Amino acid sequence: MGLLDYYKQFEAMSEEEVNEGLREEAAERRRKALTKVETLDLSHTTWPELPHPRIVNAITFVARRGLHHYPYLRGTDLRNALAQLHKVDASRLVLGNGAAELLSSATRALIAPGQRLLTRWPSYPLYPLMARRAHGQAVPVEGGVEELIAAARQDPEVRAVALASPNDPTGELTTTADLERLLNGLPEGVVVLLDEALVDFADTQPADASLALLERHPRLLVFRSFSKAWGLAGLRVGYVIGAPGAGELLAELEPDLGVSELSQAGALEALHSCGEIIARRIAAIGEQRPLVTRALTEMGFEVGDSQANFLWAAHRTLSGAELAARLAQTGVLVAAGDALGEPNHVRIALRSQQASDRLLDAISKSL
Amino acid sequence: MHTDPADNGGLFVGRRPGTAPVHYRDTPERGSEKRQRVDGSIAGFLLAGMIFVSLLCWGPIPIACLWVGSEVNYLTGSVSFGILAAFAALFGLLFGALALLKRMDNAWILVRRAAGYDQRSGVMGRIFGITAFICAVVFAFWFLVIHGPGSTEISGGSHAQ
Repeated sequence: MGLLDYYKQFEAMSEEEVNEGLREEAAERRRKALTKVETLDLSHTTWPELPHPRIVNAITFVARRGLHHYPYLRGTDLRNALAQLHKVDASRLVLGNGAAELLSSATRALIAPGQRLLTRWPSYPLYPLMARRAHGQAVPVEGGVEELIAAARQDPEVRAVALASPNDPTGELTTTADLERLLNGLPEGVVVLLDEALVDFADTQPADASLALLERHPRLLVFRSFSKAWGLAGLRVGYVIGAPGAGELLAELEPDLGVSELSQAGALEALHSCGEIIARRIAAIGEQRPLVTRALTEMGFEVGDSQANFLWAAHRTLSGAELAARLAQTGVLVAAGDALGEPNHVRIALRSQQASDRLLDAISKSL
Repeated sequence: MHTDPADNGGLFVGRRPGTAPVHYRDTPERGSEKRQRVDGSIAGFLLAGMIFVSLLCWGPIPIACLWVGSEVNYLTGSVSFGILAAFAALFGLLFGALALLKRMDNAWILVRRAAGYDQRSGVMGRIFGITAFICAVVFAFWFLVIHGPGSTEISGGSHAQ
């Protein structure tokens, strides 16, 4: 380095040069922000939209009113509203901190240590867990209603059948006819825990079709949730509807000091003001489900008949984990099937038309 | 609605004006400690040179210009040409000296930075002002006391016999 060059390196940039550099940096940041493509997460079954502002306001209002009372002292507005919605007596409905808690409580109430809970497989991973927590045993059954009946008849220790309809992760709906056949076929003393957390998305039968069975089958408990179509998983609100005369069992499922008052306020406001929004979501899923199913089938996938807000698909050559990894590289996340009971499958949540387009584009590039 | 008084959208946050760090084009490679000491000395010499040039502006240069003007007057016999020549020389020399001072000031900043100082601004303005003040005091002393009217104490004045 020459003498002059040595000293010239201590020359500062002028204000204009500095500002020009800063402007270029800001423009580069803006350009990157505009071109950044957000990851499309289709690995979860909960609806991803933010809660309606009225729900947030209702929760805030209750919080400001004071949180020094136990919620069970505050009345039963949500319970009455749900009973009215489903046209059942409020005494047949119990609120819980999510359908999962109620399912676990029901399992504990029904299964003594060493007794068994039947569940189809693959199905919701919580079912084996809740049997284990009740010191019982979960027995996975492959197949449909007939296989469940057969398994229950063979084993005198079976006390309950956990059945998700639509089933997570396959999306398969158990029709009321099948359900009635199951209830008629099961031995005395076996209770059906019907998990209808995803039933809002089904369009082949009315959402409350199974509730009609409660009048004839006292061994049926129907569980519903605000977590999926309502998009309020964080509130942890679910409920169970029992048959007339099931008050004793339902009382055992009730949380000791009730459901959080904030959660009740949010769920109640959702019932009052978000009906149209939920209907739009359900309609969007009903529109996308056959389109994506057809497109995936044409790409060489085997796609189950889903009535949920997701598809259960398997490719002929790619494993579920491999496909999920390839899709993740394109910014689309799907749930690999190995954690859900079928390593060859992926569970792909459905959203909007744009999400479907991006998903199909990513899949076609990944194959 | 914002309720946090600290949440002001970025206003009133950050450095005071004029305290921005020096932005170099590339990170400079500083010399050894010895070289930095030498650079400190060079900066001192440059400062002395700037004081010298600055002092020239307040005495020697105007006097030299008056001398040039008188020579032109003598050679051409024209007072106007003499005045014109004196002013032309004065402007040329003064602006030349100022241009030189500016260059020396820039060089002084670079050498000071090379010597390890966080030098952000030059010293030319201050030197010019200080030398102007000193020269004004000296001139006033000379004019009022040594050469000025009413001096009876020192010989050589206008009233000297």
